[in-house]
Amino acid sequence: MKDQIAKYTAKLGADRSALPGAIAFAAQDDLLITDGAPQLAELAGATLSRLNALALVAARPALPFAELLIARAGADETGIVPQDTETRTFLHDIPFLRQKDLAEDAPGRIARLLSHRKGIIVEGVGIVAVGAITVEQAYINYSSVFHATFVKYLQDVLRDGFRVPGEEAALELLRRDWLKPLTDDGLAFVPELSDDREEILAEVERVGRYTVERGLVDSFFGNISARAGELIYISQTAASLDELAGCIDPVPTDNSSTTGITASSELLAHRKIYEATGARVILHGHPKFAVIMSMICEKQGCSIRDCWKECPEVRHLDATPVVAGEIGAGGLAKRVPPVIGATGGAVVYGHGVFTIGDAGFGAAFSLMVAVENYCREEYFRRLDGRR
Amino acid sequence: MHGWTGRMLHVDLGRGICRRDEIPEELLRAYLGGRGLGVRMMREFFRLDPFDPEIPLIFAVGPLCGTPAPTSARLSVVTRSPLTGTIYDCSAGGRFAWRMKASGIDLLVITGQSAQPVRLEIADDRAELHPAGELWGKGVRESVAALKECGSVAAIGPAGENGVLFANIMMGEGNSVGRGGLGAVMGKKRLKAITVNGTGKTTLADPERFDAARGDVLRLFRASPVLFGELGIGEYGTPALVDLMAQRRMAPTRNFTGTFFPEAGNYSGPAIRAACGAKKDGCYGCPIQCKKSSDQGEPLPEYETVNHFGALNDISDLHAIVKANSLCNDLGMDTISAAATLAAFGEALGRFPRAEEVEGLLERTALVQGEGTLLAKGSLRVARELGHPELSMTVKGLELPAYDPRGAYGMALAYVTSNRGGCHLRAYPISHEILRKPVPTDRFSFSGKARIIKIAEDVNAAVDSLVACKFAFFGATLEEYGELLSAATGIEYTPETLKSIGERICLTERFYNCENGFSMADDLLPERFFSEPGSSGEGIDIPPIDRARFEEERRKYYRIRGLNDDGSFPDANFLERCP
Repeated sequence: MKDQIAKYTAKLGADRSALPGAIAFAAQDDLLITDGAPQLAELAGATLSRLNALALVAARPALPFAELLIARAGADETGIVPQDTETRTFLHDIPFLRQKDLAEDAPGRIARLLSHRKGIIVEGVGIVAVGAITVEQAYINYSSVFHATFVKYLQDVLRDGFRVPGEEAALELLRRDWLKPLTDDGLAFVPELSDDREEILAEVERVGRYTVERGLVDSFFGNISARAGELIYISQTAASLDELAGCIDPVPTDNSSTTGITASSELLAHRKIYEATGARVILHGHPKFAVIMSMICEKQGCSIRDCWKECPEVRHLDATPVVAGEIGAGGLAKRVPPVIGATGGAVVYGHGVFTIGDAGFGAAFSLMVAVENYCREEYFRRLDGRR
Repeated sequence: MHGWTGRMLHVDLGRGICRRDEIPEELLRAYLGGRGLGVRMMREFFRLDPFDPEIPLIFAVGPLCGTPAPTSARLSVVTRSPLTGTIYDCSAGGRFAWRMKASGIDLLVITGQSAQPVRLEIADDRAELHPAGELWGKGVRESVAALKECGSVAAIGPAGENGVLFANIMMGEGNSVGRGGLGAVMGKKRLKAITVNGTGKTTLADPERFDAARGDVLRLFRASPVLFGELGIGEYGTPALVDLMAQRRMAPTRNFTGTFFPEAGNYSGPAIRAACGAKKDGCYGCPIQCKKSSDQGEPLPEYETVNHFGALNDISDLHAIVKANSLCNDLGMDTISAAATLAAFGEALGRFPRAEEVEGLLERTALVQGEGTLLAKGSLRVARELGHPELSMTVKGLELPAYDPRGAYGMALAYVTSNRGGCHLRAYPISHEILRKPVPTDRFSFSGKARIIKIAEDVNAAVDSLVACKFAFFGATLEEYGELLSAATGIEYTPETLKSIGERICLTERFYNCENGFSMADDLLPERFFSEPGSSGEGIDIPPIDRARFEEERRKYYRIRGLNDDGSFPDANFLERCP
């Protein structure tokens, strides 16, 4: 497990979701081990020893949004309810602890909250997340909370403005230091994919890695596929896009084999997109600003309450269509295929972006970058306008 | 009281008495229902021989049964197994559980032995015993048809009547109370069938909170490729696993001498759909509908059944496999144990049964005639009596299902730590080692598996006590089911408190087993898995299991469970510390 801890400590640094030097893991088999920043490691170990789980991570996020959400919350509130699809589906809500709640038995208080949620926010500490059966799972849950708080904080600020001290500086930190120019510069793609299995596997692996390196997905979100004749090569469910070697399922388009039962939950959407558009490749990521902007709806007097599932409208972000639809069998596979062909891209409400390519991944990747850049610019244009 | 009824029905077959009692609320809160409550109720009886007339046969529903909680119209049947000698429970769906709960009881405890064959009829507050001589000797299908006016039926077939050690109790809808021979316990009591037909309602403490939690569960089901994916079990049933197990080269073949069967495609999910017109079917109120039935309404075989009547016996004829499944259902026999016993028998005799021979062998087994006299005893006793005990692919006498442990090391450990013997469902590591849920683990590594198996056993013991279907947890987690339970009962349960309950149940079961003479020597896989490789190929190597590494991980498991290094209990008074 020590090698796993080292791996995911490095990942938290590489994806810039946690501050280097402020990361700690604990894991237990028949013995409890801890590693990382000493104070955090002590807290992580003491907390995990109270839980019937294998691993735990405690780390300080590289952006202060999680703690600002606590500061903005009412005195009687004990958690936040982010609106992005991943949180709605997998985390539901994110409890938090204020510093004043930690005076006595901090590990016990944290463990109590983690006894019913996968990740929480602890003021003065950061994000604490548990992995029921693997170290990777703790990392995934940390990353999910980081993504959720990023999206929610920027959504809230755009809607309600600054409310507490330090917010302007936090946004400045985001714009000046944390956000990097998002481009596909320097990336190489096979211009026209052949049907050769090895070429396809290598390209899917490589492009999957690009999406993580360029910040188009967090944790193990997102999926990717390429069609070759009667086969769809698609990333497996719960696969990290930067580690796809051995995690790509070849699925017959006629469903003559069920080996693809381990394929991404979006297999149906990919299949329907191929059928509707004749595309060669599909890329699906969760770039943060596209997720945020997809949830900004200016329609007045709308009676629909479950926008993720029931909204029948096709809205647009620039020229890219935005539709509703939940994950898997939840409707996304019905609503994306009819609209994606027009521009080669589609955004799903609160969820992420699908893009397609006719020959190789280059066009799909460029379009995803373009959609996210548009959303990033549009977000700050609106925020600056508000200010 | 919300969620539970708080009442039990005790039926003494020896004296012909049916009596309703209260269940202490403390026990309901501490053991929930189903497996947990049933195991707790065995505390005074676990040392009895499984065929002792006084051994209780317990049917237990859970607090979610009768509510709209997805997959929760289930019950557990608990007693001591005549096949394994261990404490035993089996979870089953269908309609019986919710109609039993609607009769106002959480528990049905049957003791004693009737002088003549009888059937038990429960309808709301009424419970009566009726002569059943006219049904004795009849198959399950005919018995169910004869009793259908009385409500939902649980019945035994000839196998249960004749004491076949792997006889099932069959639900009228085709679901089985399977594996450990609980049908033989029912047969020994001369209880042919139970019918239930309640009309009561289960009340919820907080309907609004319950609806929100239910919505969360269904959203997770829709997001799960295993459940609702177009290649998942909702579409193809568990035979959706046939292609995957072949691709992973871990499908037990020819009595586990191999792990790859080239003809497995004959009985894959798509092949069964094409040949039998598999239609969606399933338990009451379940959105997954993983059971598949033929156009004529005949239940079609599950993954374990097709593999074991197929690859394990070197048979590739789908129609023979479907026929064997139907026959086992009608005779009231467990398909995994029946097929695995035939495979051990075949290897010992130097020839696996031909497809056309299986039907006769199964009938003679159920009737305990000819070679069936031996086969009715299960694989372990068959192999011993034929002078080849090493050919029984069992743990604690329970025949191993269709996941070769050489292809998944968590499965290897889970088979031996299971308190009911070689069962895949106690810790269900296939979920993460093969199906990548909730996250993938390395199937060829023991690293971390002791802790993972312990946690999963605790989780699943809680799931079996709710009672929910384990398949639900390919999508949802105890977070959502804990929320459903809290909303149903008005008592706060978190995933951690549920796991604590599961831990108490697992330790209680192990304590019973240890008291009955089970030890570390029984926590062992058949020698074959440590000395013979599986069927490597397609770039996948299936070597024998490293015995030293296996034993090290087993020691870790004991430590994590708080046991001594030899798997025994450090505290002889363990039960006294439990509610």
